[in-house]
Amino acid sequence: MLNVTKITKKYNSGDTTVDAISNVSLKVPEGIFASIIGASGSGKSTLLSMLGALEKPDSGSIEVDDRDISKLKDSALVEFRAKNVGFVFQSYNLIPNLTAIENVMLPMEFAKVPKAERRPRAQELLEKVGLDANKQIRKPSRLSGGEQQRVAIARALANQPKLILADEPTGNLDSQTGKVIFDLLHHLAKSQNTTIIVVTHDLSIAGKTDAKFRLSDGKLVK
Amino acid sequence: MNVVSRGVRNAFRNRTRTLAITLILSLSIGLALSMLLAHKAVDQKIQTVKSSVGNTITISPAGVRGFDGGGNPLTQSQLDKVKALPNVSQVTETLNDRLTSSDTNLQSSIDLGQLGQRFAARGGFGGGTSGSSDSTTPANFTPPVTVIGTTDPTNLASTQGGGTFSLKSGKVFDANSTDNVALVGTALASKNNLVAGSTFTAYGTQITVDGIFDSGNQFSNGELVMPLATVQKLSTQTGDLTGAVVTVNSVENLSSVTQAVKDSLGSTADVTSSQDTEQAVISPLENVKSISLYSLIGAVVAGAVIILLIMIMIVRERRREIGVLKAIGASNLKVSLQFVAEAVTFTLLAAVIGIIIGVVASNPVTNALVKNSSTSTSSTAAGPSFAAGGGAGGGQSGAVSANGNGNGGGRLGFRLGGSGLRQSVTNIHTAVGWSVIIYGLLTAVIIAVVGSGFAAWSIAKVRPAEVMRAE
Repeated sequence: MLNVTKITKKYNSGDTTVDAISNVSLKVPEGIFASIIGASGSGKSTLLSMLGALEKPDSGSIEVDDRDISKLKDSALVEFRAKNVGFVFQSYNLIPNLTAIENVMLPMEFAKVPKAERRPRAQELLEKVGLDANKQIRKPSRLSGGEQQRVAIARALANQPKLILADEPTGNLDSQTGKVIFDLLHHLAKSQNTTIIVVTHDLSIAGKTDAKFRLSDGKLVK
Repeated sequence: MNVVSRGVRNAFRNRTRTLAITLILSLSIGLALSMLLAHKAVDQKIQTVKSSVGNTITISPAGVRGFDGGGNPLTQSQLDKVKALPNVSQVTETLNDRLTSSDTNLQSSIDLGQLGQRFAARGGFGGGTSGSSDSTTPANFTPPVTVIGTTDPTNLASTQGGGTFSLKSGKVFDANSTDNVALVGTALASKNNLVAGSTFTAYGTQITVDGIFDSGNQFSNGELVMPLATVQKLSTQTGDLTGAVVTVNSVENLSSVTQAVKDSLGSTADVTSSQDTEQAVISPLENVKSISLYSLIGAVVAGAVIILLIMIMIVRERRREIGVLKAIGASNLKVSLQFVAEAVTFTLLAAVIGIIIGVVASNPVTNALVKNSSTSTSSTAAGPSFAAGGGAGGGQSGAVSANGNGNGGGRLGFRLGGSGLRQSVTNIHTAVGWSVIIYGLLTAVIIAVVGSGFAAWSIAKVRPAEVMRAE
């Protein structure tokens, strides 16, 4: 269960202070596939980075399974991210000189998964997202956009996180591939009981999610 | 795959860049290694010079050098005070004299030659030349025979001609002997048909030849070496000394003992130490040592700056990747270590080439430094010293002139020794061994760690949320 209560985040831009997120509260039950929509600059990515413990809110609380991550120290946040959060980015953000399977094994190393378990688990995840053995040993530059995003999803799942945050996961893909990726995320949410929150511009995708949150000027709009 | 292997692999992401970085760094490491080797070689040479120049102090009566100048002899009581000084391990006492044809039946083994005639003519005092004109050698002039009365008969370094004592036949008399015995140089023995057991006359007394020695030079081989007490007794100079060589227990104490001897003897004696020569010879080497040390530090700093700039560039380039690594659970330490491993890989690759450059360049670089330094030093400080050293020729000529014309053995020895040392110090070879490889690798690691320090700090400043903003 993700429980966000009255969080705010401000940025200084020159002499002015910008309210990126203002008094936002939301609840996302476990295993839900939710979406956050909004125009550019509405604060979607800022909200997502706070939900993923990449940064702390200025005020308010973010509870994951009754644990307030906004109060954690930086070192504890690193550990929390490693074990509880998976990220999927619009431009995939795979490490370019590592193979697909090595990219998936990377978060396991940071989460201190025993070395012997990493490769089999990575292979299993890559097969689950539809990447065959031949492509598992390719570097990202030799994979298509859709294949790279599948690797990114497998990487996000590597440590069986409670929460997967996806920032425009289909933004760089054609509509057909985008649909496949969306379905994959949807399927994973259901089959693995993982909470998935997707930030998207695509209203057709947002419409298919279990819950939908709209942001406007840093505020949550029903 | 772990942090280190990822860092190593990252070093080869862009092979062209890796090659360029490696070459630039290898020059820096090569230079650092050359300077390190030069520094070590020069330091070793300095130690060798220090040990070879020795730890001796020469005492002469004030105003007297050998048979040159004039003044009063040293006394036994003065030398007893010197012997009692701290850190003095030995004192060799000498009384030098010359036997003219009226004192001995021996004939000098030294031909007058052009120089001898000139100095005999100009000597103007003593022996057969006394009262002669300034421009011509007296017709009846016979070169005198030099007698060394000493308490250390096998140490020719403390005598006028110097050289290394080598007994050819017979035996060496006891240092404290009062017998009428002598060791005869090979040239003098040959000239006078002397062998061990032969006798000759000196000071109106029959002297027995205990042994024949070879010193390795014509001058000393024309000398007689006798017990100090015997020469003092026969020449009626009991208790008088014309010189002494003080041996100090270690080079480190040379300076303090020299000062103590000067304080003890005051203005009655001239005191010179091998430290004077040592300083003149070592000075250019000390310069090279300093230059090589500064160059070493400069090369290491340059290498560190190069790797620093490279790593800053790489960190800026991979800012998003660093954000990704942090977002998926990597700590600052892990990410920093990965970049340090990358920097170490660059520098170790460069170290391999740098070691080759260092080994090849160290000898030419060292020799160039030493030659330049020696040239500049000799054209200033050492120049006059060599000119003064020319006086040694006068000493040799003086030896064949009448009594009173000669040179101080100690000074002569120092000057000739100093000249030889100056020549030898320009001949330095760097020693290349396994330690060189270890030094090279160590230098590389230091450069890498120092150079990537700022990069690591930059990495720590990258906030994981930036990866979201870049989206």
